[in-house]
Amino acid sequence: MKLEDCFRFLAARRTDQLVITSAGQSGNAWWDITRDSDATFHLSASMSLSTMFASGLALALPQARFWAFMGDGAFCMNPGALMVERQMNLPNLTHLLVSNRHYGATSNAPVPNKDHNDYAAIARGMGLERVFAFDSLAAMEQQFDAAVLGNAKGHTFVVLEVETHTGRRFEQAPDGTELKYRFGRHVEKLTGCDVFGYRV
Amino acid sequence: MAESKKTEIARRIADELASSHVKLVASLPDNWIAELIDTIDRDSRFSHIPVNREESAVGLCSGAYMGGMGACALMGASGFMTLVYAITKINYTYEIPIFVMITWRGAFGDPHRHHSSNGLYLKPVLDAISLPYTVIDKPEDIGKIGTVYHHAMHYMRPAVVALTRDLLQ
Repeated sequence: MKLEDCFRFLAARRTDQLVITSAGQSGNAWWDITRDSDATFHLSASMSLSTMFASGLALALPQARFWAFMGDGAFCMNPGALMVERQMNLPNLTHLLVSNRHYGATSNAPVPNKDHNDYAAIARGMGLERVFAFDSLAAMEQQFDAAVLGNAKGHTFVVLEVETHTGRRFEQAPDGTELKYRFGRHVEKLTGCDVFGYRV
Repeated sequence: MAESKKTEIARRIADELASSHVKLVASLPDNWIAELIDTIDRDSRFSHIPVNREESAVGLCSGAYMGGMGACALMGASGFMTLVYAITKINYTYEIPIFVMITWRGAFGDPHRHHSSNGLYLKPVLDAISLPYTVIDKPEDIGKIGTVYHHAMHYMRPAVVALTRDLLQ
C-alpha cells in the first residue's frame, strides 16, 4: 500500500480524533494531506515518544479520542513503550504503527531485522487484544471502520504496512512553541480543561 | 505504631506532590525511592504508571501537561542521565514544562561505587543543559518540592528536585 493512499484514507475517516504525529514521513505525510496544526500535535523527532505523549493526553482527557502515529523506525527504538500502553489500556487511544521497514526520514536506511519483525505478534505477545494489521487499501476499506472507529474497551494497536516512500518529498511538518499553543488552545476549547493556566 | 523514617518521608513527599496538584506519577525504580514509589502506588490521589524507560516518563508527563494534568517523572540519577535528548527536544523545543524528581547518586555518603559516574557527571549534565534544580537533603525542606514544581509550570521549563541519601535512608 502506498503511504499517501493510506494517509488519504485515514484523513477521510477521521472524525473528532486528536492526532499526535511522530518523526519522519508519517508526520510529514499527515501534514501534507491535512494541513492540520490545531487538532494535530506534530511531535517531530521525538525518537519514539509519540505514543507516550499521546498516552499522557489520553489519560488526562478520557472524554477525547486520540490517534498516535509512530513509524516502525521509532518503534524499534522503544518497543517497551507498548508494554506501558498495554498496562494503561486506554480505550480512547489508537496507536497507528506505520511500517515501511526503513528509517524513511533519514535516507531510507533499513530498520534492524527488517524482514522478520512481526509488529502485530509483538503486540499480542505483550498482551494487547485489539491488534489489527492492514497491508492494502482494499483491506482498510473493508475492515478499518469496524475495527478501529467503534467504541473500544481497551487500547487499540494498528499496523499499517506501506511501501517505502520514494516519491516527492513531503513538506516538513511545523515545529516549535506555536504548535504547542495552537494545539493546547484547541484542546482547552474542545474539552474545557485548563492547559496553560498557572497551577497554583 | 510509629512510622519508620523512610515511611514518614515517603508520606510527606507524597503529600507535597498531591498538594501541588500532581496527579500522574511515572516512575522507574531506584533503591533509595522504593518506599516512595510504593507509597505513591497505594495512594488513590495519584495515577501511578511504572514505565519501561525514563524517556517514556518524559513523553507521558509532557502529554499529561498538554491535557491539563499535573505530573511528576520519578527516577534514579542513572535514568535521568539518559534524558538529555528527550528533554531538550520535547520540553525545550515546545516549552512544555516537566517536573522531574531524581536521586542524588554518587554524592558524599553514597557507598555504591557503581554511581561514580553520577558523582562525576550528574551535576555537570544538569548545568550543561541549563536545567534548574535543587537538592533536598533534610525533611524540613520537602516543601521545596512544590516550589520547584510551580516554577516549572510558571516558566514552562523543566525543573528537577534531587533527593539525597540522608533524606531518604
